[in-house]
Amino acid sequence: MRRIFHPILILILLLAATFSLATLVQPRAQGWDKRGKSGNVLTLLLGDSRRMFANHFFVKADVSFHSGYYPSIFDQAEKPKGSGHMTSEEGSPEAEEHERKMSFLGEPRDWVERFGRHFFITHHTHLENGNEREILPWLKLSAELDPQRIDTYVVASYWLRNRLGKVSEAEEFLRQGLRNNPNNYELLYEMGCLYNENYHDSSRARHIWELALRRWHEQEPAKKEPDLIDLDKITIHLARLEEHEGNWDRAIEYLEAAMKSSPNPDVLRQQIEELKAKQRDPKTAKESSRG
Amino acid sequence: MDTILETKNLRVEFKAQGSRQGKKIAVNDLNLKVYAGEVFGFLGPNGAGKTTTMNVLLGFVNATAGDAFLFGVNVREPIARQRIGYLPELTYYYKFLTAEELLRFYARIFRIPSAETEKRIDELLKLVELEHARKRPIKTYSKGMQQRVGLAQALINDPDLLILDEPTSGLDPLGRMKVREIIQRLKNEGKTVFFSSHELGEVETVCDRVAIINQGQLKVEGRVADLVEQYQANLEMIFLKIIGYDVQIPMAPGPSATTLREQHTPKMQQTTALHS
Amino acid sequence: MNTVFALATVVIKELYRRKDFYVLFVMTAVITLVMGSVSFFNDPKIVRYLKEICLLLIWISALVIAIGTTARQIPAERENRTIFPLLAKPVTRGQVVAGKFAGCWLACALALLMFYVFFCVISGTREGNWSLLQNFQAFWLQCAMVGVVVALVLLGSVIFTAPSSNATISFVVVIGILLLGRHLNQVALHQPEPLRTLVYTIYFLIPHLEWYDVRDFVIYDQGAIAWVDCLLATLYAAVYATLLLFATWLVFRRKPLNL
Repeated sequence: MRRIFHPILILILLLAATFSLATLVQPRAQGWDKRGKSGNVLTLLLGDSRRMFANHFFVKADVSFHSGYYPSIFDQAEKPKGSGHMTSEEGSPEAEEHERKMSFLGEPRDWVERFGRHFFITHHTHLENGNEREILPWLKLSAELDPQRIDTYVVASYWLRNRLGKVSEAEEFLRQGLRNNPNNYELLYEMGCLYNENYHDSSRARHIWELALRRWHEQEPAKKEPDLIDLDKITIHLARLEEHEGNWDRAIEYLEAAMKSSPNPDVLRQQIEELKAKQRDPKTAKESSRG
Repeated sequence: MDTILETKNLRVEFKAQGSRQGKKIAVNDLNLKVYAGEVFGFLGPNGAGKTTTMNVLLGFVNATAGDAFLFGVNVREPIARQRIGYLPELTYYYKFLTAEELLRFYARIFRIPSAETEKRIDELLKLVELEHARKRPIKTYSKGMQQRVGLAQALINDPDLLILDEPTSGLDPLGRMKVREIIQRLKNEGKTVFFSSHELGEVETVCDRVAIINQGQLKVEGRVADLVEQYQANLEMIFLKIIGYDVQIPMAPGPSATTLREQHTPKMQQTTALHS
Repeated sequence: MNTVFALATVVIKELYRRKDFYVLFVMTAVITLVMGSVSFFNDPKIVRYLKEICLLLIWISALVIAIGTTARQIPAERENRTIFPLLAKPVTRGQVVAGKFAGCWLACALALLMFYVFFCVISGTREGNWSLLQNFQAFWLQCAMVGVVVALVLLGSVIFTAPSSNATISFVVVIGILLLGRHLNQVALHQPEPLRTLVYTIYFLIPHLEWYDVRDFVIYDQGAIAWVDCLLATLYAAVYATLLLFATWLVFRRKPLNL
């Protein structure tokens, strides 16, 4: 009986010691690792490496967009930089540049490569006819892993509202992005586009774009290379909106602001002239807006 | 009489690990004959070369020089093993198979027709008393049961020559008796049995002829009765004498005796006289 | 052939009596079904991600089964001494090698068949399009690849003493070929001599297992591959596997049976 008794006592003693130490160590340990404070399971498991996985899944979305035709790490130079091509319109300069860069395969160098090309995708296509939905799971996963990646929300929102007819889902996703990235002007801009193009709520779109413009001016000028392309987009969209509403002064004001950052100032100058003409002759302006 | 098993100047050398000489001679110019229908005991101390000789006969090891034949066919040919059954000393079989499946597998290798296979499986499992366990995986068997499975698989092709390596090793007295009965039965059926054993009492009981090897060389070969008569001693005493323990047995050349070399050994008390 | 198939049957029995296949199959099924139950933006028609995940799991499982099963065949026979009663029968070492290969390959092919049936059911019910031809091609080519892998691992099993080291090295080699095999010629071009020649030699000598990975065709509905190409790829795999098996026999026939 004694022999059995002693090991049990030792076990109880060890358990008591463990719990006591835990109560001592716990308050100190809380400051060691920020990961533990995160409520997100993925952050807890992966830490900062989740951003790497998020990037991988974003690239996966791009691969899916191209139906498997994608340069490898050995074709790095030709890899699409950024995600502009995923939302660019056919025929745009961005799209044409992308088309050129995606011709990375070239002629096969030997018989092994020639034969091997029968077993992987060798032609460049983009998803269409509703199949764009197939990129969504990867974008969703990417957003879960890196909620601070803005591209993910912008690209997903674009396809959801423009091609897949899921405007409310796009709005919800953008709102999720804004909750994770408050005051991000890119997301605000995209939200404005959604309200303008899909809900046809120009008043709300105006407010959101104006907010985006304010946020741009708060965040970008301090940077070494401010993102002028986004400024250009926001101001031009505001200009178009004001033009559509018949607010010529406001439209001209925005176009003049856009000229400072636009790569095509002459085009904008001409558009300003046209607007001024319309301002002088409202009848002509009404007819042209009906047309 | 037909020669079932024969070795001619059989020599097997291995590279000796850690030895200055560079090679070890496991079998040294062994000339052996086993005739049809006899039970032949292959004896020797540990490391004498018995297992190596068996390995050559079974094709596990290639001879360095000389030849070995089974049924007149060189052992290098797989067909030489068509009519033999082999029971290894350490019995390990596929643990995930049942006894029935194992026997069916080996029967298929011998191209035994299915109907005949099933009949033989039933007979053999009954013979080795494993009917109750035929559907259990071998991993659930005791050592004795595994030994009996081994015996069953050695007999699946109704072999004309049975090669047994320490067949009674690890068996209880009942098991050993059953093995002796099986060997006797096989002999009565005209089969040839070639086996090695350290149980000299059993060897003396069942064997017609024996050969004793030591350090790779054949020391004596002959009928058990002749040797016993010649040395006027039991097989164990003869064995000890031949491998170099000084047992004071007066010797005389006999019809099948090989010349002995005496070595310095601890003295034994028993003295016998040889009859010419 | 009778002996070879008898040996193959034993290997197949071993596979389905071990737990490996069932664990991998259940894991694949559970992960696929869980991922399939997730709703992305309220769109029930999204299916390609599911096909991609399922096929990835199938490929991983196939490699685990193939390499794991094959790596232990001959070493286990030697370690457990079951090789002795086997070779005491009229069986040659060449037949043992052929039998082990046939058994491992057929066992993996059967396992793959189960995986692909599951995949077909999942993708067909979700997509509304069964794509039987493409799925069959993918299955067929993967079987051919598994044949080469099994032969490679069998060769490793007679060279390396420990099954674990053989399995590890085989995994690294196979995954290396799958990921990099297609690009080695590109890598070679950027190297100075003599490294360029060495890399190019490796490029031509390795079995191009990446040819058999046609998942993209299945996932992205790119249509069937030309049957002539499938046939040539199968022939290539058969020749390569035969070469590796011949090398295995050459090594094994000189190997002592004791470990």
